Amino acid sequence: MDAEQYGEEARDENMNNTSNINPAIFAKRKRANKIGLTLSMGAMLLGMVFLFWILGVLLFKGFSAIDWSLFTASTPAPGSDGGGLANAIVGSLLLVGCCTLISTPIGVLAGLYLSEYGDRSRVASITRFVTDIMLSAPSIVIGLFVYAFIVAQAKHFSGWAGTVALALIAIPVVVRTTENMLRLVPGSLREAAYALGTPKWKVAFKVTLRAAQSGVMTGILLALARVSGETAPLLFTALNNQFFSTNMNAPMANLPVVIFQFAMSPYDNWVELAWGGALLITFAVLGLNILARVVFREKVQG
Amino acid sequence: MPDKHLSSQFDADLNALSSRLLEMGGLVESQISTAMRAFTQMDLDTCNVVIENEKLVNDLEIQIDLACTEVIAKRQPTARDLRLVMAVSKAITNLERAGDEAERVAKSAKSLIESGAPHNINVAEIRLSGQMAINLLRRSLDSFARLDTIAAAEVVAEDRQIDEEFRGFVRKLMTYMAEDPHMISTGLDMLSIAKAIERIGDHAKNIAEFVIYIAKGSDVRHIPHEDLVREANKP
Amino acid sequence: MMSNMKTMFDLNTIDSQGGKVETTNQHAEQGAINALEVRNLNFYYGGFQGLKNINLDIEQGKVTAFIGPSGCGKSTLLRTLNRMYDLYPGQRAEGEINFYGQNILAPNQDLNLLRSRIGMVFQKPTPFPMSIYENIAFGVRLYEKLSRSEMDERVEWALNKAALWTEAKDKLNQSGLSLSGGQQQRLCIARGVAVKPSVILLDEPTSALDPISTGKIEELINELKHEYTIAIVTHNMQQAARVSDYTAYMYLGNLVEYGKTDEIFIKPKRKETEDYITGRFG
Repeated sequence: MDAEQYGEEARDENMNNTSNINPAIFAKRKRANKIGLTLSMGAMLLGMVFLFWILGVLLFKGFSAIDWSLFTASTPAPGSDGGGLANAIVGSLLLVGCCTLISTPIGVLAGLYLSEYGDRSRVASITRFVTDIMLSAPSIVIGLFVYAFIVAQAKHFSGWAGTVALALIAIPVVVRTTENMLRLVPGSLREAAYALGTPKWKVAFKVTLRAAQSGVMTGILLALARVSGETAPLLFTALNNQFFSTNMNAPMANLPVVIFQFAMSPYDNWVELAWGGALLITFAVLGLNILARVVFREKVQG
Repeated sequence: MPDKHLSSQFDADLNALSSRLLEMGGLVESQISTAMRAFTQMDLDTCNVVIENEKLVNDLEIQIDLACTEVIAKRQPTARDLRLVMAVSKAITNLERAGDEAERVAKSAKSLIESGAPHNINVAEIRLSGQMAINLLRRSLDSFARLDTIAAAEVVAEDRQIDEEFRGFVRKLMTYMAEDPHMISTGLDMLSIAKAIERIGDHAKNIAEFVIYIAKGSDVRHIPHEDLVREANKP
Repeated sequence: MMSNMKTMFDLNTIDSQGGKVETTNQHAEQGAINALEVRNLNFYYGGFQGLKNINLDIEQGKVTAFIGPSGCGKSTLLRTLNRMYDLYPGQRAEGEINFYGQNILAPNQDLNLLRSRIGMVFQKPTPFPMSIYENIAFGVRLYEKLSRSEMDERVEWALNKAALWTEAKDKLNQSGLSLSGGQQQRLCIARGVAVKPSVILLDEPTSALDPISTGKIEELINELKHEYTIAIVTHNMQQAARVSDYTAYMYLGNLVEYGKTDEIFIKPKRKETEDYITGRFG
């Protein structure tokens, strides 16, 4: 179809016929659109600037610390040269790993209960309320709590205490995201399962949970990411350990506390290691977030 | 026609079917009257008028049939709407054939005129049955317009009279033809006209039966008369 | 055929080939048997009465359609037949619904077992987030223990019944969500058929589908009715006319007219019915 066959007249009568369009309103709307766009782009740029600035500084300062010994040598004693973060890395992995093992089942089951069973019960509303409070509880308070109940009783710091403290932070996150993701599953899917004669628990586990699984996974990953960088709770529970150890019943080395200890110290190698550790944590958390997003995106497309 | 459809176009289409049927009916009525007049007055020109206008009747049948088909294709009518469309489609066939009978009357009258032979057959009976047939057709179309099943049942009953008249006239003709063989050709033309009138009465009866079908949903063709009357009188 | 399924617990009359024990002659001699008999059914959404004194029979081996304008109660009625409303507090039914003589509204009725005998397919196709094979095996595993080869047979049988086998046989391990809308709905039908219920309830099964998929599913219903009793809710009157043997017209929670589909669409008894089906509504 050739536009020319319609001619000037047709164009004038149709597209250029603006007899009922108020030019002042139209112009104002266009202006408002431009202003809005400019403001949002500006805000985005601002955010991006700071993000890249932080990442840049981290890379700049921490990159020099990245070498093989970072991963193989343990933290150096005050005054000694070199050293690495091996014990801290392993310690963090252990702490976060055990925390995940504890908080995932508890959090997912609690979220499942809230969404599928306890829609209106008293217990459910109380649970939700408590979860919300725990979500915004200061992590240092949680650390102190665990200190009072576990560390003081046992009379020593331990990796287990650290795990408990981290779990107390992670569980509310998992509960909330699990419940929200499960609520997003359409009721029609549940009805279809019930219509086959499926008992309630099976509908919850095998259909609803499965339908929400990538969302729930995302929640778990985000809880992990949050917990990996927590320092305050570990200060009172796992403390730190200069040497390499995998004994969970004793003080356990971990990256956040090491950074805390090393960053403001007078030793150069300590400061360098602190930056290296910060770089590691940042990119690990970044990696977890990206992973969570990729997993979630797959769900949306499916 | 009663209540309105959600689609006013549908209402318009159905109403158009009914009014066009009545229009065709009116045309056929006038064809029959004109043919009878041509016969009683022995007027050649009037005969030719009827023969020419027969084409109009045929055209109407085709047009209305097409309209019926379109309604079915576009609207998928159900219940009384469906019955109406089915009945209209069949009734116009009856009307078209009644139109053919009118043409036959005109042609036979023409043949009588052209043969020129004088005759002394009393045609009063034919005139009378002709009037009855026209009256019956008018009343059947009337009952269609008002969907009056009682009037329709009466039309069905009275068709019998036309049949009786026809039988009587045939007996008379046979006597005439037997007495005077020269009369046979004339007699046969007369027979043709009488037969045509009898058939017109039957067509009027069929249309009346369709009226009961539309209004009550019962197909009353080929059932005993008492049953037909009972169906017609149902609330 | 159905006499063997009269009690709901006769799962062992299903043979492993997937067929039912045939006694079709018996059916003809006995006359009409009702799969479901609804007696004096009243239904309430909280304080609002959704169904008013419904009395209705659903004949075995036939398709019964429910038609009526929005809000007339046809879906509500369908959902009482498998006690789907029990999932939602505040909804309750009073009266009797006899499923081959057993009142399914009784408080001690095992709902899960009931729903495996009276299946339902919904308006929106809802395949489970599993493979096609698993979708079908899921329901079967709830109540039957089948070996791998028996399960394979059952899955193939069910997909054949839903006219989906040729399209799906090469992708049994792919997610159910990878199918098109019409195929997903047929998967849901296959899933419902696989557990061999006596009755299948269809709640506007083709509303969300294109005309060709709709046609395929209507053809399916025509095939399925030989072995199952089917009740279908539809807002498409022509579909009800094409597909059903009996039609029930409902309005504002009342059953206005019930009869053979042919009669209802040519000569309905009630003016309200005629007004609705000829489009003289409003």
